[in-house]
Amino acid sequence: MDFELKFTPELEGFRKKVQDWLKANIPDGMENPADPVDLTLEGYNKQRALGRKMAELGWLYPTYPKEYGGGGLSDDEAIIIETELDRYDQLLPPYYDSGGKLAAATIMVWGTDEQKRAFLPPILTGKVRSWQLLTEPDAGSDLANVKTTAIRDGDHYVVNGQKIFVGSAHGAEWSWMIANTSPNGKRHENLSWFVLPMDLPGVTWTHMDLIFAGNESGALSGYKNTVYLENVRIPAFNLVGGENNGWKVAGTHLELEHGLMQGSLNGDRTLQKVFKVCRDLKREGRHLLEHDDVREELADLYIDSELTRLLHLRNYWMRSAKKPMTYEGPQAYLHMKRAALRTSKSLHKILGPYALTLDKERGLEDGHIEVQQRGGIVAQHPGGTVEIQKVIIARRLGIGRAVKEQAGVLR
Amino acid sequence: MDLSLTESQEMLKASARELVEREFSKDNLVKKDTNGGFQPSDWKKIADLGWAGLLIPDEFGGEGGSLTDAAVIFHELGRGPVPGPHFSSAVLGTLTVLEGATPEQKMSLLPRLAVGATVVLAPAITESDYGWSASQIQMKAAKRNGSYTLNGAKLFVQDAIGATHILCAARLGSGKIGLFIVDAKTPGVSLRPLPGFTTGVGEVRFDRVIIHESNLLGEGREDGWTILERTLQKAIPILCAYQVGGSEKVFEMSLEYANTRVQFGMVIGRFQRVQDHVIEQVNQLDAARWATYEALWKLDTGQPAAASVHMAKALASEAYYQVCNAAHEVHAGLGIMREYGLYLHTKMSRTLYHYLGDPKFHKRRLTNALEAQGVI
Repeated sequence: MDFELKFTPELEGFRKKVQDWLKANIPDGMENPADPVDLTLEGYNKQRALGRKMAELGWLYPTYPKEYGGGGLSDDEAIIIETELDRYDQLLPPYYDSGGKLAAATIMVWGTDEQKRAFLPPILTGKVRSWQLLTEPDAGSDLANVKTTAIRDGDHYVVNGQKIFVGSAHGAEWSWMIANTSPNGKRHENLSWFVLPMDLPGVTWTHMDLIFAGNESGALSGYKNTVYLENVRIPAFNLVGGENNGWKVAGTHLELEHGLMQGSLNGDRTLQKVFKVCRDLKREGRHLLEHDDVREELADLYIDSELTRLLHLRNYWMRSAKKPMTYEGPQAYLHMKRAALRTSKSLHKILGPYALTLDKERGLEDGHIEVQQRGGIVAQHPGGTVEIQKVIIARRLGIGRAVKEQAGVLR
Repeated sequence: MDLSLTESQEMLKASARELVEREFSKDNLVKKDTNGGFQPSDWKKIADLGWAGLLIPDEFGGEGGSLTDAAVIFHELGRGPVPGPHFSSAVLGTLTVLEGATPEQKMSLLPRLAVGATVVLAPAITESDYGWSASQIQMKAAKRNGSYTLNGAKLFVQDAIGATHILCAARLGSGKIGLFIVDAKTPGVSLRPLPGFTTGVGEVRFDRVIIHESNLLGEGREDGWTILERTLQKAIPILCAYQVGGSEKVFEMSLEYANTRVQFGMVIGRFQRVQDHVIEQVNQLDAARWATYEALWKLDTGQPAAASVHMAKALASEAYYQVCNAAHEVHAGLGIMREYGLYLHTKMSRTLYHYLGDPKFHKRRLTNALEAQGVI
């Protein structure tokens, strides 16, 4: 066995190129943002500009075909770009684009050639950014229960409904939406996916007041909106994957959301911050690190973080070695969700009230510690709750039923 | 990166699985367990495959295998779970001799350890003040005229019964710790099993046992604890692999049972409450598995491994214990019937939980190691 991700000299050369380029091109204020709570419109525009510059090099959506605006690069090159961006606390793309990531992958599998030519280049070159419109007030874990309707009317679909927990701050050009195209149809046979331009008449959104912050922070934006859709006329061309075939399309789509490689291979920087605080801060006259209970908590924190790394490493290896995968994606996701809450509690036990304040003077590590207290809770629902992960694992293991392999793997 | 086994490791794995299924089937192991436990003839079956000498270099008649090679076999033995001195003698005992013995002692012991049958070593470390730190070694070895006199008792010694030699840690006159190779037939040595919900543990008493100084490991060496600590770093992940193998087998048993047992008109695996137990098993199993094999890889490639080793033992002990608990929830009444055999794993999971340090102990060590490695 060999647990080390080794790259060829050519790939290490590529890494150097990426490093140098990022050093020269990461805009001021994007490098390990000190205050993770807010990103101004100015900051957001810088992120988008960086994305477009990266796209020129093929680094924004590295593994997608060049003909559609992707980089035509290998998985290894993509991992290198992601890893190097992570050193600046930035994800790939370097702005919130969850709709774009999922739409692009799905369109690659289910889109017609014409749709690929129309929709992929704007996403892959960073011209548009997209939100995902999935959750509704009555359709959370039960996504098939969406009530937003899209009724065919000539060359258009007329959309009415409401979507919640959408996007981030500062708007989006497009969204990737699931809607009910056959209100009297059978469950699972009444859904379709759309590319929705957000400037169509009848699309409006308002801010949801949530406990989290971080309005444009990569995939983890805590700034969410309610989107209202009132007699929105979407061109029929924008329906991807066939009318009423949306549940099958969703299989591909959700697999990707559940299987996202969210673990960084650079090590856990929050943990490094906690270690630092434990060396510096005192409780009852002694440094935190000198307390036995703190030392025990640190071991648990370290183990959880190592397991996140190991499970992602295993999944990465299985994917690149083309091993058949079943439960591994949701298992890693489940671990991360549980570990997030354990981490919150550990930090609270170690740091007491210090863990809870964001105060500029008294808060720890520029607010990163306090943000984790909220982030751990917020992390419980995106991409499916802990219970949903367990449902998927049970199916994949074949507990009480035949084993089900994962849907097709996409890049 | 490649997380698969090598071709030769796959072959080792296949022959170990074949041996376990043929000679140590569940029915056989239940029978052995009720009829006085593991027998020397059982050990011979394992030794005959060359596995007693797997970690011994060729110059001493062994196979010169890597730690991961050994772990692959122990993973399979854990699936039995096959009891017996393979870990005590062929791993912990053997590695201690390799680490600390003089060339003469090695020449005398290793070839006999390698064939398995003539020397079977049981490390005797813990005492009535139970613990895995040096300070818990209180037994005295008094030196007089080129010999040492050992007095005291060693408790919870794995595989003492059936051992030809005891590797005994005791305090020398200087207060430092020496490791003695004691022939189990030496006058004053008595062995007895400690019965109960445990496997293979015994008590070794030393009543004015006189040992020639040539039997002090390393002859004159007073750094017995350092030798032992270094050895434990290499030996523990192999024990973890055994726990991983046990966890894997118990998970498979539970999954199969959940898919065949019918209640309320359907297989119980349809119930999410039951699924939760099986999912917990696979999560515990995979955590232990990958932590264990990464620690082995670090050791085999000469990287600093202390933190990984402590993490692996904390996870593997916890995994085996919890996987068995979950299995009993799934199996209910069937799980406590002797003939079904689940209990063999359960009591092994209990026995190994604290052997060479429980999760709490290793988590303390983990933080220390992280500090020493400059991570904290």
